[in-house]
Amino acid sequence: MPPEPRRVDGWIGFGVLLVAGVSVPLLTRDSYHLDVATVILRNLLLTMSLRYVMSTGQLNMAHVSFMGIAAYASALLVTRAGWSFWAALAVAPLLAALAAVPMGRVALRVSGPYYFLISFAFLEVLRLVFNNFFVDYLGGPSGLVEIPPPHPLLLTGGAVTFIGKLAQYWLMLVLFLASAAVLIRLECSRFGLVNGAIRQGELLAETLGVNVPRYKLGAFVLGAFFAGVAGVFFAHSQRVLHSSDFGLEPMVLLVVFTVIGGAGSVWGPVVGTLVLAVASELLRELHHYELLVYGLVLIVVMLCFPDGLVALPGRVARRFGWGRAKDGASTLGAGVAP
Amino acid sequence: MLLELREVGKRFGGLQAVAAFSMTVRAGTIHGLIGPNGAGKSTVFNLITGVLPVTSGEIHFKGERISGLRPSEICRRGIARTFQATTFFREFTVLDNVMAASHLAVERGFVKTLLATAGYRAREAAALARAQDLLDAVRLQDVAGRRAGALPHRDQKALSLAIVLATGADLVILDEPLAGLTTQEGEDAMRTLQALRADGKTILLVEHDMRAVMGLCDVITVLDHGVRIAEGVPRDIQANPAVIEAYLGAEDTRA
Repeated sequence: MPPEPRRVDGWIGFGVLLVAGVSVPLLTRDSYHLDVATVILRNLLLTMSLRYVMSTGQLNMAHVSFMGIAAYASALLVTRAGWSFWAALAVAPLLAALAAVPMGRVALRVSGPYYFLISFAFLEVLRLVFNNFFVDYLGGPSGLVEIPPPHPLLLTGGAVTFIGKLAQYWLMLVLFLASAAVLIRLECSRFGLVNGAIRQGELLAETLGVNVPRYKLGAFVLGAFFAGVAGVFFAHSQRVLHSSDFGLEPMVLLVVFTVIGGAGSVWGPVVGTLVLAVASELLRELHHYELLVYGLVLIVVMLCFPDGLVALPGRVARRFGWGRAKDGASTLGAGVAP
Repeated sequence: MLLELREVGKRFGGLQAVAAFSMTVRAGTIHGLIGPNGAGKSTVFNLITGVLPVTSGEIHFKGERISGLRPSEICRRGIARTFQATTFFREFTVLDNVMAASHLAVERGFVKTLLATAGYRAREAAALARAQDLLDAVRLQDVAGRRAGALPHRDQKALSLAIVLATGADLVILDEPLAGLTTQEGEDAMRTLQALRADGKTILLVEHDMRAVMGLCDVITVLDHGVRIAEGVPRDIQANPAVIEAYLGAEDTRA
């Protein structure tokens, strides 16, 4: 029996990410370029994990808050408790996931616009906590400063340091690829099917044997964990945390990246994040108006391509009747598929 | 006795939609639930499958009380249903619909899935083979790769049946399985249902096509205004004055 096509597509896509990620340092050592590439990887981790939550029909506006929880937790564990960065990297995302359990339980009592509003309330409350409470620990409005970079990793061949842009890029790449492997694997497994089933018909999925609240909570918590991974890296690469890093603006950007790419496919956030990263470089002159352009792009994409840019090649192919276009849920979509 | 409803009642505010309704469905039969529009047939389905909680009474399946359980738990005990409206996942391909349904009811470890252990892969392959068998059985094998939302009506009906069967349910509950089908398609669908009965499945259905109901069902329960007014074999039901009155209304009593 031939292997399931979904799984094959998944590994091809992962291979492309791997090759692309590894080739960046071979193509450029320019510290600005590496910086941009590192931020892109961090955003990819955030959008791919956000999309996993969204794949169960939850537009979780508090996603970036879990990044914040892990970022502050990791910074405090390292600066106050004297932990190693690596121990904090292992524990802080788990703390974010743990915090997600009660929050998810509350949010899942409602759905649709009410879910959006409750998660938005979580976002604002946590931002205010970061900003106004425990100022001695969290740094208050002036931010939490003097977070050390990742500690050197002692290997048999000697110590590896993580001071320069290049080393940080490699670290982020490893974190991203490990997380992406899990998220892609899940998408290509029965979890992808079940999540998609829940998004399309919650009641039908429930009567077919899915404990819907449990799956939604699972996705919410898993998303929080990976947002936490990004948060730990964020804390120790920026080395300063402000509450605004985990507020509405970065959250809206994540949603825009994900939706423009297409939340229906695991590759949507990849396409959206990359396209808008390039656009952002081109729009650098516009400063504050950049967000305005994003808003316009979002409206246009929603009106013209509701499935996102990732579904575009398939639509074009169908429109012109090229080949036997897969009119199923596009498993790979843009970039790689013909 | 596969399924037993004991004095089941459902009240929506001031409206008693179903009142002290009792019904037993024997294993291996096709059981029809009929009644005029608004009689409470769909409500009964919703009560059995846990979509709505019962207000009073109890429902037992295979000797175990199922009223009060989540719909997913009821499904895992062997009851699956179709809905009148959307009863498949539009964005999925036909094959993925059936795969999803056969996965949904099976709990497999998160870590096992992630690592794709040998046992996991073997079960995946078995699920795929089973899904293809099911598509063969409802004659959808040629459209397995198409998006479900784009299927013609007959194929959508067949797909919703395949999905329900994919859960492995012993009791299959069908809400108007013949609605919208041509005469020929309807006869094919009836043959499929009879084949399922021969396979040992139990079928409970709501259907408005009386000829089909009379030809297909072993037992028929008649519901009117939330109350059971008759139950029996088709011949008795057709001759029952209360049933005739419920269907034809007051005119018949005046005659």
